[in-house]
Amino acid sequence: MTTSIILETPSPTLGLIPENGLSVVHTSPPRVDGLEKVTGSALYAADYSFPGMLYGKILRSKHAHARIVHIDKSKALALEGVKAVITHADAPKELHAGSPAPRVGQMVADQYVLAEKARYFGDGIAAVAAVSEEILEEALHLIEVEYEPLPAVFDMVEAMKPDAPSIHGTERNLVGPPFIIERGDVEEGFAQAETIFEGHYETGRPVPCYMEPNACVCRWDRGGKLTIWSSTQCAFMVRGILSQVLGIPAHDVRVIVEHMGGGFGAKQDLYQHEFVCAILARETRRPVKMEYSRKESFLGGRSRHPIKITLKQGLGKDGLLTAREVRLVSNTGGYASHGLGITAVGCLDIASLYRCEKNLKIEGISVYTNNPIAGAYRGFGAVQAFFALETQIDEMAVASGVDPLDFRLKNIVGDGDLSPSEHHILGDGLAVCLRRGAEEMGWYERKKMGRNNSSPLKRGWGVGTEMHSSGAYPDIEEQSNAIIRMNEDGTVNLIIGMADLGTGTRTMAAQIAAEVLGISLGEIRVIDGDTDVTPFDIGAYASRTTYVGGGAVLKAANHLKKQLLELASERLECPLEDLSLIEGRVFAKNAPNEGIAVRDLVSGEGGRPPRTLIGQGNNEPTVAYSFGAHFAEVEVDTEIGQIKVLQVIAVHEIGRAINPVAVAGQIEGGIQQGIGHALTEDFIIDKKTGRPLNPSFVDYKMPLALDMPKIKTIILEEFPDPSGPFGAKGIGEDPIIPIGPAIGNAVYEATGVRMRELPITPEKFLKAFAET
Amino acid sequence: MRPFDYFEPATLPEAVSLLERFDGRASILAGGTDLLVEIKERIRLPDHVINIKKVPGLDYLSYDPVDGLKIGSLATLHEVETSPVVIEKYAGLYQAARELGSIQVRNRATVAGNICRASPSADTLPPLIADNATIHTFGPDGERSIPMEKFFTGPGKTVLLDGEILTRINVPSPPPNTGKVYLKLGRRAAMELATVGVAVTLTLDGNECRSVRIVLGAVAPTPMRATDAEDILIGKAISENAIEEASQAAKDQCRPISDVRGSADYRREMVRVLTGRALRMSIEAANEGNSPFDISTDQTVD
Amino acid sequence: MKHMVSTIINGERRELAIKPYRSLLDVLRNEAELTGSKKGCDVGDCGACTVILDGKPINSCLVLGVEVDGSEITTIEGLADHTAPGAPLHPLQESILQHGGAQCGFCTPGILMAAKALLDETPRPTDEEARFAIAGNLCRCTGYTKIVESILSISGSEGAL
Ligand SMILES: Cc1cc2nc3c(=O)[nH]c(=O)nc-3n(C[C@H](O)[C@H](O)[C@H](O)COP(=O)(O)OP(=O)(O)OC[C@H]3O[C@@H](n4cnc5c(N)ncnc54)[C@H](O)[C@@H]3O)c2cc1C
Repeated sequence: MTTSIILETPSPTLGLIPENGLSVVHTSPPRVDGLEKVTGSALYAADYSFPGMLYGKILRSKHAHARIVHIDKSKALALEGVKAVITHADAPKELHAGSPAPRVGQMVADQYVLAEKARYFGDGIAAVAAVSEEILEEALHLIEVEYEPLPAVFDMVEAMKPDAPSIHGTERNLVGPPFIIERGDVEEGFAQAETIFEGHYETGRPVPCYMEPNACVCRWDRGGKLTIWSSTQCAFMVRGILSQVLGIPAHDVRVIVEHMGGGFGAKQDLYQHEFVCAILARETRRPVKMEYSRKESFLGGRSRHPIKITLKQGLGKDGLLTAREVRLVSNTGGYASHGLGITAVGCLDIASLYRCEKNLKIEGISVYTNNPIAGAYRGFGAVQAFFALETQIDEMAVASGVDPLDFRLKNIVGDGDLSPSEHHILGDGLAVCLRRGAEEMGWYERKKMGRNNSSPLKRGWGVGTEMHSSGAYPDIEEQSNAIIRMNEDGTVNLIIGMADLGTGTRTMAAQIAAEVLGISLGEIRVIDGDTDVTPFDIGAYASRTTYVGGGAVLKAANHLKKQLLELASERLECPLEDLSLIEGRVFAKNAPNEGIAVRDLVSGEGGRPPRTLIGQGNNEPTVAYSFGAHFAEVEVDTEIGQIKVLQVIAVHEIGRAINPVAVAGQIEGGIQQGIGHALTEDFIIDKKTGRPLNPSFVDYKMPLALDMPKIKTIILEEFPDPSGPFGAKGIGEDPIIPIGPAIGNAVYEATGVRMRELPITPEKFLKAFAET
Repeated sequence: MRPFDYFEPATLPEAVSLLERFDGRASILAGGTDLLVEIKERIRLPDHVINIKKVPGLDYLSYDPVDGLKIGSLATLHEVETSPVVIEKYAGLYQAARELGSIQVRNRATVAGNICRASPSADTLPPLIADNATIHTFGPDGERSIPMEKFFTGPGKTVLLDGEILTRINVPSPPPNTGKVYLKLGRRAAMELATVGVAVTLTLDGNECRSVRIVLGAVAPTPMRATDAEDILIGKAISENAIEEASQAAKDQCRPISDVRGSADYRREMVRVLTGRALRMSIEAANEGNSPFDISTDQTVD
Repeated sequence: MKHMVSTIINGERRELAIKPYRSLLDVLRNEAELTGSKKGCDVGDCGACTVILDGKPINSCLVLGVEVDGSEITTIEGLADHTAPGAPLHPLQESILQHGGAQCGFCTPGILMAAKALLDETPRPTDEEARFAIAGNLCRCTGYTKIVESILSISGSEGAL
């Protein structure tokens, strides 16, 4: 492990790890699929080709809101090499929700495969299949579309006015009923306050920018079965919703995800091309490949929800919070996607983090506008909610003359307090993270050099915290499955339903299985991402794969181990409880030198064919919480308004790090995205036309290697959760959350300017700086 | 990409005759880092692409004290940024080259292509104009030489005639006590198109400003000289007041637009700030008589 | 009209019939059947298609396939000679595996090629030089920390961290 990571494991470990310690889990072997990735042999969806394959592309609306009066496809069809052109008239009239999380009421079926009405600039309205990409490009330009432009609305507040254009025919363009939390009497709480703070906070429209643009290849066999190679986080959702829309049974859709170039939540949704590709392939009876260009991945992709939050809190004489009132409005764009879920999570999150259980009133609204679709993105609702809360907490500390860290430690939720899901929190993880980070950077000793020097460059430190659920409970009743099959030579096939979108799921799963079975990683092959083969799984998101999916692997491995021991018990004529499984051999307590190799237990003998042992694991936990605190140092150039992050100290309490290097990788990557969101990343939509102004990597500015600060990552394992494998909790989403407010608060320390809107662009900063 | 025919002329006259033959429907391909993007994005739809990289004698970068720096039309940005003489004597150009795109881009992109694309934000233009460069062309009517300052007529537009090819850029040798700076404003440390670019080439005579050329990028349809600012400084003693006055004059003279990279007001204000900074840095460099950029390879990072 | 192009890709001479309006990236991925180089943006902004052309790292999406006649190209598939069974990886490949510098892996081929080009010229880069060399390569998973560590550790300049 490198010097930038510190891993701290206190004893005791609550019986969550074996007595003789861990040997595979809690280490950082190279990824089990790493060799493929470093040699260029890993296959991603767009790398597949088949004989006779066609290429497909979507024609996208040039209006943000328009009725499609007529589409003339004759010229395109006449072009040599064009094999099919489809419009809404050729596509199934079946409304779908884009991301059908099973058993959840939060999704709204409001999308057609191809619509008769475009609801955002870039909405797909027709599609072509042709023999080459060049012909495809020409054909798209030969399709003639007659639009009837409709009045459009882009601002979420405007969209709720009675005379606003209606996007889906819902009242005031609301996606659904408001999400409301009420506890105690908020007015009473404000009456008790010595000071009341109220502020408006706003977050921008960052885009996940997974490096692999959306892509899929579809192929039908003559028996009517569809195979789709797709870049998706949720193979089973793709199967489920394709089968619904195409009107074919689930077993006639096979979804294969081999390698995936990132998703960060957005690839939970089915995108238009996945439907269109299947339809084009069915129509032409040829395989069809569709790849989004980078521009399409912006236009037809999913961004984070821009959210406006009005936050009002009361502070008592004793320095404790007395009341919190929140109104949260979220801009979901042309279609609902995860709009309701994100609003709900934002509301639940902002109800927690700082103790204010008695007097609370929160209302969240999700609104349609004619902007590109906002969807699921790492930090789902939490990024926005905690930016507001963490900024205002800082303001309260400053205004009341209390050190921001001390203020936090006094009010932060801890053991037994209510979590966002209204469970009781396990452990003082937040306080521990705050203290550990403060110690590492020397919070109380730091020199506040910033504001008063004569140089235009000012420096300051800031802190932000977060807590995040592992898994999507209570939004989704969590569940994962795993199957482990032992082969006749003692090797193992581990079959899991989760896709590995790049986070290291396969490696994590293999490590857990290897730990339980006492075998090496090399003796395990993970099979995943194939709906014909693996057990059901809702997908890789919500910081759930280790916590929920890893738990299923643990159960399956234990199930297999039990069968092995039972076999050994017969063979060795030794009671079960006296057997132990170590390094591929089963030993009896009284005969530590003899034992029997696992291979010999399963290989068959004397003409008897080998037995197949199958372990099965189904895991349905509720929820656990991980905690984090980020400390960021910034330098602000107060003449040009640019902010540079100089260093970050990231402390995360995650129960158990199954693979510490992979955990640190999540943290460092989350910080890169979070720095981008705080400073440079914003998908900008023209306020008059709804046309995206920066759908490219030149003008949508993600931090590059030269822009990234030094990061020190501290992983704590203070509060392992009994419901997670070996005590492990999630980490995927956590690190993107606290970095934003940490940067905003550091800018305040450096310059005295309070920024309540992300991203903090140079122009916004200079304007605010001039006003202070 | 939309289909086109492809040619690899072996001589300049051959290239020129192809251009004439295709009469406006052909594009010259040098590094291709602009042209291919424009074709892919259907901003430009040539029926014919003429790759001039096989024409011998265009790929050079040479210097002599009398004629100064000669940049052949196939010289890449990478060749420029790694040239010791550029680093030493053309610090503004060096800085512009080093901050252009990425290494991958600079290994293909040519200075000539940067000039002929004539983007208002093109990085090498301000320092080359500040250095009083001249452009040499070859066309149906033979050779021409054009002061670079007069070369640009609008975004993407130059005085190049149909069939004309840029063959060489000539940059005079700097007199002693000259300081050169190019400052590029962008949000990231690399892969940025300038929101504002400011180039200053300034020569001192004792404490007096003997000559100065200030060129602004990305704040007008073409790179522009901040002549009002220059007038404030030339022939006068250097002072903080004069620098501030000149910076303000540059701000007043520029004519930026608002776009996704920055508002017109922001750009104007940044012209003021960056002109001031560039002037101070170039004065320091002129005083020390060397490049303001540390070029040692074993520099340590804090 | 197709043009015949003769080029050496990963040490092997290839004669390819190429349409002039095909990028080198498309030629590599389709005609040459080497899908390791990735298309992340197709306009030079992301670096995922980086290959080494006559010794220099370039974006293969911004070169025409017809331009490489007579040239030599190294792609990720040729970074180490693993055509021979058991042949070792390039030290960079080994290092990025060990340091966890590849997550989703989509930017990895481009990053490795840019890093190889750096080390070919500067065997002991500083942290700053390593970051400068991969400034044209976007990665959205790692935050670059482990990528830079991978590069510095094999060049023995880890102390520069
Ligand atoms: C990712 C990326 C980042 C970039 N970053 C920057 C940046 O930071 N700053 C910046 O200024 N630019 C940037 N560019 C733009 C581009 O790289 C430069 O403008 C480059 O110098 C163009 O040179 P080229 O040789 O590639 O030109 P080409 O694309 O080959 O040609 C450009 C234009 O000039 C014409 N042309 C070329 N040579 C001649 C000639 N000798 N005579 C007549 N006409 C000619 C061509 O027909 C074409 O119209 C970037 C481009 C990319 C793709």
